[in-house]
Amino acid sequence: MSNTFMRVGTANMYDNALRNLGERHSSLVGLQDNLTSGKRVVRPSDDPVAAAQAERALTRITRIQTEQRALEVQRNAIAQAEGSLGDAVNLVQEMRELMVKAGSGTLTPNDRKTIAQQIQSLRDQFIDVANRKDTNGLPLFNSLGSALQPFLGPLAPPPDYSFEGLPGQSAADTVSIPLTLDGDAAFMFRPQRDGVYHASISTTPPDRQFGTTAITTTDPSLVTGDNYQVVFSGVGPGATPGTLTATYTITNTTTAVSLPPVTVPDFPADKPVTIGITTIPGLSFEIKGTPANGDTVTLEPSSSVFSVMDTAVREIGGSPHSNAAAQAVGQALANIDRGLERMQAVRGYAGELLNRADRITGNQETRSTQLEGDRSRAEDLDMIKGISDFQNQQVGYEAALKSYSMVQKMSLFNFIS
Amino acid sequence: MSLLNVGARALLANQVALQTAGHNIANVSTPGYSRQSVVLSTVQGQFTGGGYIGKGVNVDTIIRNHSELLTRQAASAASVSAGDAIRSTRLNQLQDVFAGGANGLGAAINDMMNAFSDVVTAPTDLSARNLVLTRIDETAGRLRTAAERLDEIQATVRYELDGAINDINTIAKSLASVNEQIARAKGSGQPPNDLLDQRDTLIRNLNRYLQTTQVEADDGTMSVFVASSQPLVLGTTAATLSIDNASLYPGSGDLKVVFHTAGGASIELNEGMLGGGEVAGLLRFNNSDLAEGRNLLGRMAVAISESMNTQHRLGLTLDGQVGGNLFTPIALADARGASTNVSGATIGLAVSDPTRLAASNYEISFTAANAGSVQRLSDGKYFEFGPALPPPGYTSLNALFADQGLALTITGAPVAGDRFLINSLQGAANNIDSMVYSPRDLAAASPVNATLGPNNTGQLKMSSLKALTNPPGATVPVTLTFTGPNTYTRSDTGAVVHNYVSGQPINYDTAVPPTGWSITLSGSPAAGDTVVIGNALNPAYGDWYQRNAGNASALLGLRDVKMFDDATLADGYAGLMAQVGTRTQSAQFAAQVSEKIAAQLEGDRTAVSGVNLDEEAARLIQYQQAYQASAKMIQIAQNVFDSLISSMGR
Repeated sequence: MSNTFMRVGTANMYDNALRNLGERHSSLVGLQDNLTSGKRVVRPSDDPVAAAQAERALTRITRIQTEQRALEVQRNAIAQAEGSLGDAVNLVQEMRELMVKAGSGTLTPNDRKTIAQQIQSLRDQFIDVANRKDTNGLPLFNSLGSALQPFLGPLAPPPDYSFEGLPGQSAADTVSIPLTLDGDAAFMFRPQRDGVYHASISTTPPDRQFGTTAITTTDPSLVTGDNYQVVFSGVGPGATPGTLTATYTITNTTTAVSLPPVTVPDFPADKPVTIGITTIPGLSFEIKGTPANGDTVTLEPSSSVFSVMDTAVREIGGSPHSNAAAQAVGQALANIDRGLERMQAVRGYAGELLNRADRITGNQETRSTQLEGDRSRAEDLDMIKGISDFQNQQVGYEAALKSYSMVQKMSLFNFIS
Repeated sequence: MSLLNVGARALLANQVALQTAGHNIANVSTPGYSRQSVVLSTVQGQFTGGGYIGKGVNVDTIIRNHSELLTRQAASAASVSAGDAIRSTRLNQLQDVFAGGANGLGAAINDMMNAFSDVVTAPTDLSARNLVLTRIDETAGRLRTAAERLDEIQATVRYELDGAINDINTIAKSLASVNEQIARAKGSGQPPNDLLDQRDTLIRNLNRYLQTTQVEADDGTMSVFVASSQPLVLGTTAATLSIDNASLYPGSGDLKVVFHTAGGASIELNEGMLGGGEVAGLLRFNNSDLAEGRNLLGRMAVAISESMNTQHRLGLTLDGQVGGNLFTPIALADARGASTNVSGATIGLAVSDPTRLAASNYEISFTAANAGSVQRLSDGKYFEFGPALPPPGYTSLNALFADQGLALTITGAPVAGDRFLINSLQGAANNIDSMVYSPRDLAAASPVNATLGPNNTGQLKMSSLKALTNPPGATVPVTLTFTGPNTYTRSDTGAVVHNYVSGQPINYDTAVPPTGWSITLSGSPAAGDTVVIGNALNPAYGDWYQRNAGNASALLGLRDVKMFDDATLADGYAGLMAQVGTRTQSAQFAAQVSEKIAAQLEGDRTAVSGVNLDEEAARLIQYQQAYQASAKMIQIAQNVFDSLISSMGR
């Protein structure tokens, strides 16, 4: 038997050639698939790790898109809130000018009534601004949760305005900012936080000067939030001729506790006297003028910026003479400035949130680009390489086809006639 | 005279040789044909005084060029290649069910989770809520569709298996009858070459379906054994095979090849001994690859629906009701008792912790009523349980499965030797459906709320508030009072001073996992600052909870919960794709390698048995020349005789 080491069965030879042709053809079709879809990894089995990476990158990209969409809504809401605070500040500035005008000594009570009405209309606009909602119906000053109208009033006192909500500010995080601002912090006054008090005086004759300075808060944590009264008694001539003496008693009308009466040292009768009151916990102010028996200074806490405005309207409109008006204007200006401070603080925070939103957007865009790069590296086809591979395969396939047809022509039978 | 004989013999011999060469040429493309060659031998010389005079040529036999070893090797390699190829094809089909990209199941799941973001920014917007409900419905539909496609693939596989087994049985019968013909023909003294070729072809075809081993008997019959052990064809009798459900765990979906002897006994063949062949490949695909695909899909369906249902029940709807289930709760099928179990104990299953579920079947073997071992079939890991086992053993079966995320209910008392198979995840995705229809019933609000004291002078802000029990019951209200930048006291723990770290969650209790609520604050507080956690449904708060989206945020946060073997919910599908893709890729590589080996061995076999046309052409010329020479010899013999006669006659 001849050695079979060198033999090749004819059928087997054709089978092998066909199999190789089939292999080359199918890999050519596969490369064409890659080229037309632009992907190196068409099915996960082409490269499971890359397929998983591409899928994860796609997941993160859609997540960033979702977060950005939410951020846009949040940014709009905060921008609206910031704009509303700007409107509120403008309204307050207008009111201030009116109040200053009302303090002028040359106005008649009717003039003051007119000014009071103007302040009233500005206050109505002001509470509308505070109760504004965003495009989705959520109040802008929702804090941690509130009714549809967060600021309710005027109600029967006390307090005359209430914040119908849960005070507090939600925090921003790495991909989002809060949707709402803290309304309580912007518009309300709290005794232990702000200690805003309003002093009103009993009716005095138009020619006698008697009033107070603005009430300053020395230590808010000591403020009790109670009502107080300072009653003058025992006003009479002093030891030295040409002097007067007076005694006043401070009573906490909420707890009905009185401090012992304090006698004011003799003061000249022809000049107004300044009496400093510092014994009320957390507060201090001065009484200026010429006291008489029965003169009462009533101190009440203000619950909100709206209360200050309402009190100003009531007192300026109802003051019988310019001394009383001056007292009302002095108190209103001081307290409304405290309100302005709070509004500006919250407005500043809103501005910082908007900046933060911009920074977040910048970060997210960078991340998004990186993720797209990751995804592309994992599953996209390098077109140049793909096309050159395809050309190579095409040439190889052509060569296989040609050699098949050529080998087929060669047979011993061709030479046997 | 003898020259005439010699010539005639030579003529005949060469004629036979020519015919054999012609037979080879005619059968050049017949698969399985072994080329035949004529074996010529010289006739013994006749003794004469002048020497032994040769008496010509004889045709001894027509030999079939055939190497038994190479034929068997080629058939086995072809069998392995066929098995790998069909497994690779089916795995490609399986892989297409889990496609990725923007239209894949993973993208649908992520879109569903991301839709909650719109509810968080606009809690009272009914269209945003509707979008979430629609997406939930779509995702449930797609999970169901994927499960149905897996069922279709299984039906196709079963159909193919049945067809293959029918073919095997037919071939076995043909083999038996060919064996009989060969046995009869053997008595004639000459090898029945074409019958032998036919039998080899039949064996080769049989190997394509199932790898066999052959043993030749003395009477010329070839006995064929499957699974290295059972005689499919023994001499002239053929047995039959069939495909049945595994008898140990009936109804589990596992298929096994069953061997039926002629006498009627049935023997289940061990899958590991089947070797190669399409039947073996399809069985491996059905019992391990398809099962894994089903488990992965089932685990995804169960984990997502359980975790979303649980979180949804922790919220309040727009009407102040406790949230219901978002998906129909998936009831896990009971564990299957083995058919050899003595006690009638049953084991019911429920999900206790969706984040710990493994995509695997489990097999429980009891060595006593409360001791035994559990094998996790996906990675083959063994766990032991028994009353006093130290770690890593478990003290009870329930504790063992609690670590795997399942809660067991054992009814009845198992005895030693009882076995159970848990494959409940397999059908889990078929029945998933969404349950909430009205946008008002989406529980986006949190049942607890928090107030930062209005008198706070520090920089406290609220990062997140999560309810862990709904309704909150006695866990609210609680007031936190800060005594310094890093310390606080609670209204429910009296004078105990707790530490505060900005950004760390403060839990209601210290249970694992915590209950009640969990709040995260950021910023530094001043002494005297307070935080009150209250009940959102308290009438004092009116309808404020409607504008709260705490539970929607928590549902959005489920995206980052580690659920699928340490991958988060959002990344779970990528891991699933990679797992199925890796299996498919390795099956493809295996198929490529085994195909090359099979081709090489076939080349080696045809090197011996294949017909080479050039060789046959050369032989044709050779024998034709010899024929012509023999014919000439006869002519010369005739001339010699003629001249002899003519010289002797008148």
